[in-house]
Parts: sequence; structure tokens; C-alpha cells
Amino acid sequence: MATQKSKVSAKEAWGVREEGKDWKFDRRMAAHLYRRAGFGATSEALDAAVKMGMEKAVKGILNPGAGEGGVNLGAFEKETAELGAMAMNTGNVHNLGAWWLHRMLGTPDQLQEKLVLFWHGHFATSAAKVTNIRMMKQHDELLRKYAKGSFRKFVQAMSKDPAMLFWLDSTTNRKIRPNENYAREVMELFCLGEGNYTEKDIKEVARAFTGWEVRRKKFVFNKRQHDEGEKRILGKVGNFNGDDAVRIILDQKAGPRFIAKKLCRYFVAEEPELGDGVVEGLAKVIRKHDYEMGPVMERLLMSRVFYSGMSVGRRVKSPVEMAVGLLRSLRGSGSTTELDRALARLGQGLYYPPNVKGWDGGRTWINSSTLRGRANLVGKLLGEKGARFGMRRNRGLSRVAAGAGVDGAEGLVRWVYDLLLAVEPPGDVTKGLVKLAKGIKDGDERVRKVVHAVGTLPEFQLA
Amino acid sequence: MMKKATRRAFMKGTGGAGTLFAMGGMAPHFLVGTAEAVSKGKAAEEKGKGDHVLVVVQLSGGNDGLNTVVPVGDDVYHKNRFITRIRKESAIKIDDYHGFHPSLDGFGKLLDDGRLAVLQGVGYPNPNRSHFVSMDIWHSARPGASRRTTGWLGRYVDGTSGRRGKRNDVAGIHLGDSRQPLALAGTKVQTPSIQSLEGFKLHTSGDGKLKKAMETGAKVNRAGGSDLLTFMQRSTASAMGSSERIQEALKDYEPAVKYPNSRLGDQLKTVAQLIEAGMTTRIYYLTHGGFDTHANQAQTHAALLKQLGDAVSAFCFDMKKRGHDKRVALMSFSEFGRRVKENASRGTDHGAAAPLFMAGGAVKKGLIGKHPSMTDLDQGDLKFHTDFRKVYATVLDEWLGYDSRKVLGGGFGKVKVFA
Repeated sequence: MATQKSKVSAKEAWGVREEGKDWKFDRRMAAHLYRRAGFGATSEALDAAVKMGMEKAVKGILNPGAGEGGVNLGAFEKETAELGAMAMNTGNVHNLGAWWLHRMLGTPDQLQEKLVLFWHGHFATSAAKVTNIRMMKQHDELLRKYAKGSFRKFVQAMSKDPAMLFWLDSTTNRKIRPNENYAREVMELFCLGEGNYTEKDIKEVARAFTGWEVRRKKFVFNKRQHDEGEKRILGKVGNFNGDDAVRIILDQKAGPRFIAKKLCRYFVAEEPELGDGVVEGLAKVIRKHDYEMGPVMERLLMSRVFYSGMSVGRRVKSPVEMAVGLLRSLRGSGSTTELDRALARLGQGLYYPPNVKGWDGGRTWINSSTLRGRANLVGKLLGEKGARFGMRRNRGLSRVAAGAGVDGAEGLVRWVYDLLLAVEPPGDVTKGLVKLAKGIKDGDERVRKVVHAVGTLPEFQLA
Repeated sequence: MMKKATRRAFMKGTGGAGTLFAMGGMAPHFLVGTAEAVSKGKAAEEKGKGDHVLVVVQLSGGNDGLNTVVPVGDDVYHKNRFITRIRKESAIKIDDYHGFHPSLDGFGKLLDDGRLAVLQGVGYPNPNRSHFVSMDIWHSARPGASRRTTGWLGRYVDGTSGRRGKRNDVAGIHLGDSRQPLALAGTKVQTPSIQSLEGFKLHTSGDGKLKKAMETGAKVNRAGGSDLLTFMQRSTASAMGSSERIQEALKDYEPAVKYPNSRLGDQLKTVAQLIEAGMTTRIYYLTHGGFDTHANQAQTHAALLKQLGDAVSAFCFDMKKRGHDKRVALMSFSEFGRRVKENASRGTDHGAAAPLFMAGGAVKKGLIGKHPSMTDLDQGDLKFHTDFRKVYATVLDEWLGYDSRKVLGGGFGKVKVFA
């Protein structure tokens, strides 16, 4: 395993990681980058990343259209738009989940999908209550539009999103009885976190949002129901409306800190979580860029702390990360409808977050039932007839491995480790896997069984 | 244009005609009964304190309590239920005043055998008549709260996490493919939803060598690794161990009684098998839906109660024969009862207080508490006299051995429901 400096101080955490004696951007580090910024990468993509170096690789992730030799993003978008329309016509939100998985598996812009998943967990709105597929699709489009953009505009648009308002029972908000649900959540769950506002602030923010309604599944501003009086929100006084309220909320010092903490947990480390000092460093970056997420992500993905032992292997893969990552790394594909269902059973139904707080992540994904489910899903993804690996004429797992220059039983195990594991398993485990590989003659079955076994290791669940 | 193959692959999935990954919904083959021999009940491994199990059967939609435990001896009932009423002669007699719905012969048998308690008049103050809100109230046990994000059992499971012993079997399991009930939502522990026993089987393609490599991978100590890795290694080892254990126990499993051929029957049989397999899971949560009988109630309600009574009695007698019934209790509730007066569509509308059932070898048999008055009503609905949180408190303190105040945020007294 590559050597990583295990501790990085708060002061140097967000500086750019530079190659040197103590650190190199090797295949393992490239795999770490792609696992976090996306859902994993093929052997060839790892080689290419190492060749171009870390900074160029990150820039390529941020601007996938600009890269050379990449898949054409425009064509991909056109194709998936057609599929999205087909999913919509079924009226079944589960097919929207299948559509999204299809995107995750095929997209040249992985960071986009990863961020959409992040924001989906942040603004956790569930089709279990919204039920209407048009509203959910509109919600999804909002997540996509702002995923890498301005969080300020994002929250303002979200405050007018029919699915969101329906989800939080906030489709009516009358002057005489302001509805406090959305006012509370926008501060507690979306922007500031508990303890950074008072109950009085909730009441005042609710007044600012009066007249914001949903009628016939569309947002409308009902001027007659809007409270034109003076409001006092987080120390500011004026005749504020909902947009003003969002602006004032995000002007709070706690705002960037709250978002920084969530980004750190999602992209850097769940356990142990980064310390307050380190998180504050990223909050400063967010303040500097006034909530523009693109530059914030660039800084994060190039940072010292991101490539340190404080980050590598410090997260638990979510079910989606686990399954999509496995398939992407091995150029796998197939129908995503059943996959969507299987992921729901493992605790991550797309468009069906468990509650308004979203998925808690970390250890909460894991128990004996979900671990068995994960192991079985790995087996299914690898072995089910119709599952496809490789490209065009080079179908089959053994061809994927051969194409990457894999040679021999030990080489195979190593190669699979590079693709799928952030943490090196103990020597005895590796020996067992090599023995397994040696006992099977060269071919698809050999690769399949080694990947299957690696896919049940405790290390496989970490990212 | 989209590539043809892509379109085909996608359609194949969304159309449901055939899917590339047939991962769920398959019949659990090893469940299909074979041998005649009754298992020797080898599984009751963890006897003694702390091994009690609670099975919750939720009746979704608002069960008509008045036609479940029927006040057949009350004229007011017959006047209000001119069309939907159950006649005294067709009811299953409990006493002169009460009778079970004729479909509930299963409950009748349980009562005769001393394994059913009927708690009457259960509800909560200021009853809410929305399915969604009232169910949330029952699930969260927080009637007054403006937001309800955790459930009473979820909080119990959270509170006992880290005290689950070496096996780390899940503390709770939801059986079913519907949305997980709020009752099980906690903040720390994610309770799994499982559709069938298939979910407990670890697939190894029947390859011994592959299995061996997996076992080695799970067993080897990760000394020097992070706490997270240690946790993951232990959980993986436990997951493989319990799979093994369950497969062993199921090899020669034959229910001691015949289960009815219904979804609820299948699910309760699955629960029985897991208990028999020595799982240390404490909570099993099942739902039985369709009770929202606004129109033409009679047939639907009779069928639902038949499924309920037959499945619950099969389960209880199965547990009895296997020697688990002193440690397994089954509780069944609904989000509300229904209006005393029937409506104009041969049905009934949303009401309030209703009976709650507790079954098993450790319950105090018979009716507990009086039938709510048929004349002293709250907006046309029966008034509750037993707060459901009192029942929860009893279950937590006396059955699960967990301080109910930690879950309910206060004391609610107890009901004498366990013998």
C-alpha cells in the first residue's frame, strides 16, 4: 500500500498535495480519487491518471468535456435524456432510480452524479410521500442543475421546489398562520444545523415564506397571503421575503461551516471525523468562493488531507457506491431495474431516502443482514447471465483483466486489490485468495471468483 | 439516436418482462417443506433473561375494532351497525357481552389455550383521524410532537446497540417489501427490511474453495487496522456465521403446525424459523394491510381477520410446540378503530379507540379493561381508557427489559398483560 502521511495539521490540510519523497500519486491514490469523486475507475483510467498527475486528473474530473479521448458527454446526455423520458412514461419512480443508476454506470462526468447523490441525501425528499414522478423528476433536475454550482441559488430554488414543499407539508403558507415546517428545516437541516438559530427565528423565517404555495404541482407566489410586515431574522430587520431569508441564513458564519462539515464527512472521512479546526479550513474556502461548489470541490480533491491517512479507508461505501463502483471498475453493465431494487433492500433506495435527514452513512449501513446482502449482490452482479463486462468484441472478465496486462494468480489478486480496495488486507487473506486463483484455470471463472471473494472482504466495504 | 442495445437492455428491465439481474422475489426453495420429522427444538440456545422476542403485527388502514371484538350483548351496537353488524349467534363467544368476529376462530383457539390477551379501549388523547398522522403517532409514541423522526422501537434498538453481544445479529428486522415503518427508525442503527429467508443465505455458488477464501477473509484478525476496519471484520465474520447457523437450522426445519397459505402466514413462518435458528434478534415487525373499509366492509374485513387469526394462532402454536413460547410475544395494533355508526356505503369511517392484542405463552389470558362505553362518545367515536404508551412501557420494561422512560421520555404506568 502506498505510504500516506497519517496526520495532517489543520493549517496545512487544504493546501495542494505535492509529489515528493513522502508521497506519490500512484494507482492506489488515483483509485482513491476516483472512488471519492465518482464511483471508481477502470484499470486503464488509473494508469492514465497516474501518467497525467494528480492536478491534471482532478481538473479532468471537474471538466470532463475538456479532456482528450474521453467519452462524448453531449452524446451521453442526449441518450440518457431519451431514457429518462421513457422512465417518466411508466409513471413509476423506481424506474427513475434505474435510470439514474444507468447514468452513474455510463457517465463520463462522475463527479456530477456523485454530487447529485450527495445533495439528494442533503435535501432528502422521498417519493414515498411525493409519489408523483413529474415532481420527483423536476426535483432531480434541480439537484443536477446546481450540483456543482452556487449553493445560494440552489437553496433559493429548492425553497420553491414543489416536491420539497410537498414533502415537508409546506404547500400552503398563510399570513395568519405561518407554516413553520420549511422555515425550520431550511435552517436545521439544509443550511445551519441545530443550535444556530432560535425558535423565534423560525417563526420570523416562516413569515418571510408566507404566500409561497404549491398549486397543481407548481410553485406560485400568492401575494395576498404574503406577510408584508417587518421581520427580524437572525439579527437583521426588514420586510423580508423568502429569498431574503435564505440570503440572511447563508450569510451566517455557521452556514459555510455546516456545509464544510457535511462535505468532509461525505468526501473525506466519516470515522474518525475530521476535527473542527480542519473543517473550519474548508469553511473558509467556501466563504472565499461564496458557496460556489466547483472551486470548493477542486480544492478538496487536491488537498493534503484528502490524500492522507486521515481520509483513505475512512469511509464506509454506501450500497450505491459499492455496487456501481464494482461495475464501473470492471467495465460492467446490465439492466439497472433489479439493481435499484436490490440497493433499496440494502438501505439506499434512490429517490426514497429514509427520512428528512437523509442517509446517515458510516456504520449505520452495516449489520449482518446488509453484509450478507452486499456479498450476495456482488455474486449476482458478477455471475448473473446477461451481466456484461468489457467492451464490444472484448467481452468477459478475463479479457478485461488481460487487456490491463494482468498476469498470473498473484498478479490477478493484486490487480483486483488496486481496483476495489482502499486498504490492504492481511497477508494470510491474500495467500488464501492466491490459492483460490491458482486452483482455477485461467479464464472468466477465475477472475469472477477472485472478485467475488474480494467483494466479501471487510476491506471492500471501506472507501 | 440512442444505441439500440442500450434501449433494449433498459426496456428489458423497466418493462419487467425479464430482468438481467434476478436478485429478489425468488421463492426460497429450501423453505418448501419436506421431511416429516419434527425438529428437536435444538435452537433455543439463549435461554434466560434477555432472550425475549417481540413480534409486532401492524394492521394498517384502521381496523374496525368494534367488529373484531364485538359487543354483541349491546343493543346500541346493533342499532348503529344495522348492515355491518355481527350477530350474537354467529360471533365466537368470549363472554355474554363480547364475541370475536366469526372469522377469528384462530383467536378463539388461542384464548381457550390461555395464550391471548385482549386489551380494550386503547388509544391516545386528542385522537387524530388521518391514517398518516395517527400511524406516525403510534410509531413515534409522541402524540404532541410537531415532527416525528424516530420510532419507539428504533429508539430501543439504538439504546441497546453495543450491547448485542458477539453475534451482532440485527436487533430488529422488518419483514416486507413496503416502506419501512417509522416505528423502527432510530438515529444510530439501521434496521434491515427482508422479504424472505433468501436474505439470510450467503451465496457461494456451491463452491467450497470460494467459501473457504471468503471465510478466511472474514476471520483473520485485522490487528493494527482502524477501529472502523475492526468493526467491519467482526460484522463480516458474524454475518457469515449466522448465515451458516441459519442454513444448518433450516436444513431439517418443518413447522410444528401447518401455516395458512397467506402472506402473513408465510412471514410469520419465516419469523418462527429465524427464532428456531437461534437468531438473537429481539424485534420482528410485520404489516397486514387493507383495513380501510369505507365501503362494502363485510367481505374484506372477514377475509383480513381470517388471515390474521389463522396466521397468528399457527405461529403461537408452532412456538409452543418448539418450546419458545415463554419467550416470544406477539402484539397486534392498528392506527385507529372506526366510527361507531356505519356509513351509507356499507362500510365504516375512521374512528379512535380500539382493542390491541397480545399473544404468546407468557401473556395474561382474556379481556383486559372494560369495553369502552357505546354511548359516551367523542365525536361519534369510542373513548380510549388505556394510553397505548402504557402498553409500550409494559412491553419495554417487563418484556424487553429496557427502561421505558428512555424510549418514551416519561412514565406511563403499566398494564397487567404479562402473567
